[in-house]
Amino acid sequence: MMKSLIGAACLTLAPLSLSAGSLTLFASGEDLATEGFNAPKLTKDGWALAFTRITATFDQITAWQTDPPFMADGAEITGTALPFDGPFTVDLVDADEDDLVELTTIAAPAGHFNALSWALVPGDDGFSLAFEGIARKDGQEVAFSLRSADSVAHACGEYLGDVRKGFVTENAAADLEITLHLDHLFGRADKAEDDEMNLEAIGFEPFAAGGEFDLSLEGLHLGHVGEGHCYDFAL
Amino acid sequence: MTLRSRLAGLAICAAGCFTPLVALSHAALIEAETAQAIRLHAFYDTGEPMAHAQVIIYAPDDPSSPWGQGVTDRDGWFEFIPDATEGRWSVQVRQSGHGAMAHVQMGGDAPVIITASGTQSWLQRMVMVALVAWGALGTALFVLRKKGRSDASA
Repeated sequence: MMKSLIGAACLTLAPLSLSAGSLTLFASGEDLATEGFNAPKLTKDGWALAFTRITATFDQITAWQTDPPFMADGAEITGTALPFDGPFTVDLVDADEDDLVELTTIAAPAGHFNALSWALVPGDDGFSLAFEGIARKDGQEVAFSLRSADSVAHACGEYLGDVRKGFVTENAAADLEITLHLDHLFGRADKAEDDEMNLEAIGFEPFAAGGEFDLSLEGLHLGHVGEGHCYDFAL
Repeated sequence: MTLRSRLAGLAICAAGCFTPLVALSHAALIEAETAQAIRLHAFYDTGEPMAHAQVIIYAPDDPSSPWGQGVTDRDGWFEFIPDATEGRWSVQVRQSGHGAMAHVQMGGDAPVIITASGTQSWLQRMVMVALVAWGALGTALFVLRKKGRSDASA
């Protein structure tokens, strides 16, 4: 399946001129990673979570200039490609004040990078995504380690957020963001029980005994670009 | 001088020149014109509208800065009238941590509409449909006279 993404009709950019701008790539687990799940944003089953580490490994990252805009409706992106070297293993808890972790900055030609493809892949420890922390509920305190070895590719459209991102101009910087929505895994107590996110989310109760658990990412769709969506598929 | 400005001038005269100051006639002017508008419907494929969702509009000549913003109505509808700038107008709709973008190419023979309509999962069930209402360009001016108790001209 990944071959279809890589094999998309694309034009990889030629070596960049000195007048090119730059594109910085960030990853974020948002405030749910840095601050944890705290009331009223408890997990859907009422657990408070404090993460000591969230390790994620990203690879096969390419920023795209697409016209017409790629709408995250399939695995194949057509456009002008700007590949990033990888992989990058980061701790999403160890982020800046905006909950961002910088992966890398590369030279980029002018234009609007309005699509991003990337994959969660196993890192050196064999896991693509791993959570460690403490869960608390009704006086219980549980140490947990949740680990996934799944490889999941993402074909994302434009970053959506408070500002519109990805506009590189000559000698000027722009940035893009890989975003993991952790509430799609743990759910949210401040959302309705029948909210579709909560219906799909695992919650924390299956891990309430504490210890180490293997985790499947299938169907959770954690990957986003800000609030923008991605088409994801297992590798 | 255009017909509109002439009519407006006459209305002002009628209101201010030929009536005593103590008995103003309360002339009311209504300008009406037809224009082309972009109308968006933001909803989930469950049929639930994206009610009161944030809308940000980007014009073709400055696509990184908001041209305008607003909020969808309770049924997920939002309308705006773009200026004459040709090119790709982009509209972002966000709600509860999720968003979608629609694009409308303006100019040329007809608008080209690109909407978000992913169907992979519940996360991508945010669907936006952009409709463009075309109206013949033109302007009409109506001068109405509100008849008040102190309207000496009546």
